[in-house]
Amino acid sequence: MLELLQEGFSAVFSLQILVLITLGVAVGIVFGAVPGLTAVMAIALSLPLTYTMGPAAGLSLLVSLYIGATSGGLISAILLKIPGTPSSIATTFDGAPMMEKGEGVKALGAGIVFSFIGTILSIAALMFIAPWLAKIALRFGPHEYFGIAIFSLTLIATLSTGSMIKGLFSGVMGFVFATVGIAPVDAIRRFTFDTPNLNSGFEILTVLVGIFAISEIIKVAESVRAERKATVATVSMRQIKGFGFSMKEFVSQLPNAIRSSLIGIGIGILPGVGAGTSNIVSYIVAKKRSKYPEKFGKGVIDGVVASETANNAGIGGAMIPLLTLGIPGDAVTAILLGGFMIHGIQPGPMLFMSQGSLVYTIFAALLLASVMMLVLEFYGLRIFIKLLAVPKHILLPIILVLCVVGAFGLSSRIFDIWTILLFGLIGYGFVKGGIPAAPFIIGFILGPMAETNLRRGLMLSDGNFTGFLTNPICATFLLLAVFSIAWHVYGTLRPQKKNGAAELLRS
Amino acid sequence: MEGHKKKELVIGVVMLGAGLSYLFMTMNLPRKGFIDAAFVPYVLAFILCLLGILQLIASRKPATSQAESEDDNTPIDYATVLKTLGLIVLYAALLKAVGFLLMTTVYLYLQFMVLTPVSQRVKHVSYLIIAAVASVSIYFIFRHGFDLMLPAGFLDL
Repeated sequence: MLELLQEGFSAVFSLQILVLITLGVAVGIVFGAVPGLTAVMAIALSLPLTYTMGPAAGLSLLVSLYIGATSGGLISAILLKIPGTPSSIATTFDGAPMMEKGEGVKALGAGIVFSFIGTILSIAALMFIAPWLAKIALRFGPHEYFGIAIFSLTLIATLSTGSMIKGLFSGVMGFVFATVGIAPVDAIRRFTFDTPNLNSGFEILTVLVGIFAISEIIKVAESVRAERKATVATVSMRQIKGFGFSMKEFVSQLPNAIRSSLIGIGIGILPGVGAGTSNIVSYIVAKKRSKYPEKFGKGVIDGVVASETANNAGIGGAMIPLLTLGIPGDAVTAILLGGFMIHGIQPGPMLFMSQGSLVYTIFAALLLASVMMLVLEFYGLRIFIKLLAVPKHILLPIILVLCVVGAFGLSSRIFDIWTILLFGLIGYGFVKGGIPAAPFIIGFILGPMAETNLRRGLMLSDGNFTGFLTNPICATFLLLAVFSIAWHVYGTLRPQKKNGAAELLRS
Repeated sequence: MEGHKKKELVIGVVMLGAGLSYLFMTMNLPRKGFIDAAFVPYVLAFILCLLGILQLIASRKPATSQAESEDDNTPIDYATVLKTLGLIVLYAALLKAVGFLLMTTVYLYLQFMVLTPVSQRVKHVSYLIIAAVASVSIYFIFRHGFDLMLPAGFLDL
């Protein structure tokens, strides 16, 4: 493994890739920091740039954006008291009070350093777990994949926020849109309305850009005209020793950091829940286990550490199912999957066998991007703070144009521009109806996987359904799927008890 | 309170409508046996309709306190939303005929104006300059740097 990693590093240490990683992390931080811009947008915008690059360069850029954007949210969480992304919600709980107490530098320093530690630990976990899991997954046939797809679909629909009915609806709708085009196995054209452009179905990237970028722009139009100029608090980064906190504080936070990393990695692996959940869970756990829980929320470093370690630890966690099974856990990994496919790379167990060196190049890029994040975010903070003040009414139209360019560039058709607009409207409708969008994407990606493997599995067992139930792995996942729905239904039918997490946050 | 109930009811109707129209389209697919290309769409259509009905039933229940707080009170500026949508549609429709450079400049300029906050003045000159610079640099970066043939229209550079 060390040999392969060395090979990966030597691939990454070329001038082109180093520049791409630096740019990727910087752009990612900006997209993470500015509220309203997301990691998905950052990756969607940069995709057309990678069309002509080799896979190693293209994928390095994409993962750098991912790392930068996940971590950048802490800047606005502490300075603006608004989380830049949902991954930094819990950072505001203690980061904002620390800022008010004049400890802004300490909060930022701790956030940045522990983001780095969380990322590195999770990449280590990824490097140890992924090859091992890929070996097991190599033996999976259609039955197992069908089980996993169904399980992941139900999990994301039930775990996503709000009502289960809406979550499931969103997931099934994603599946519905994925049935457009030529059907698997018998190649019948479905729902194409005799439009040749629809024969191959909707491009996953147009769906993602529409649902997550275009709909966001439409949503911002609702309120942007009533907006006042945001006041950005400034901190002086001069005359700070080290990272703004003492060695003693660092050591005392290590148990908290390791616990939060484990929470972040664990939650990151599960499909459907990611950094948006893990930062809050980890904050709650840190508060519970703390010797001084009453200080939480009034500006203690522990809160910032817990939240920022956990959200960045989700990166390595979420990459595990993505690389080994081809299953994205959330919107960001879904768009990464789209980026992989553009470069002709199908994540899954075979990737580790056929393109092992590329996998380790990705690992190396992830490690290098985390170091870059530490350096850029700390020493370039002042520049990022300036960018927080760029007015949205200028920024968003330009982002829209870049989305249009990206969609057009997929296969030089105006048709794809109409597609992102269509999915933008669907995404906006979902926002209005309180329907979560993430299950839609997962349904869109996993739906065809479920259908293809269902058809293949049935062919293997001569049209007999029991094949799926007698296969131990498939049966386990199907049982888990049923269990997760039943558990959720039980939870909603039970006399209304207040949400534990919400209660803890309030206390 | 009543507004919330009504909204959930409308969502249920839309969900059921989506399910029924998908079912209708599925019935037009050619069939070749029990498990064929139409099997999964039938299952999906059935689930969609079921979820729509469940949503309609759920919408009759009083809202929980959590759902109430979700409906915040910032006024929604639908005029701006509609103008923005209109501009995007025009942009997509005319992009090929007019060409990327000109169309993008016009779109950006108009979109900047539409989105300018009420508290700020519309700065026509700087908007035009930003729009032109953004459009020209995107065009040349992609067309010459990344070989992406953006529609040139009648301004073939």
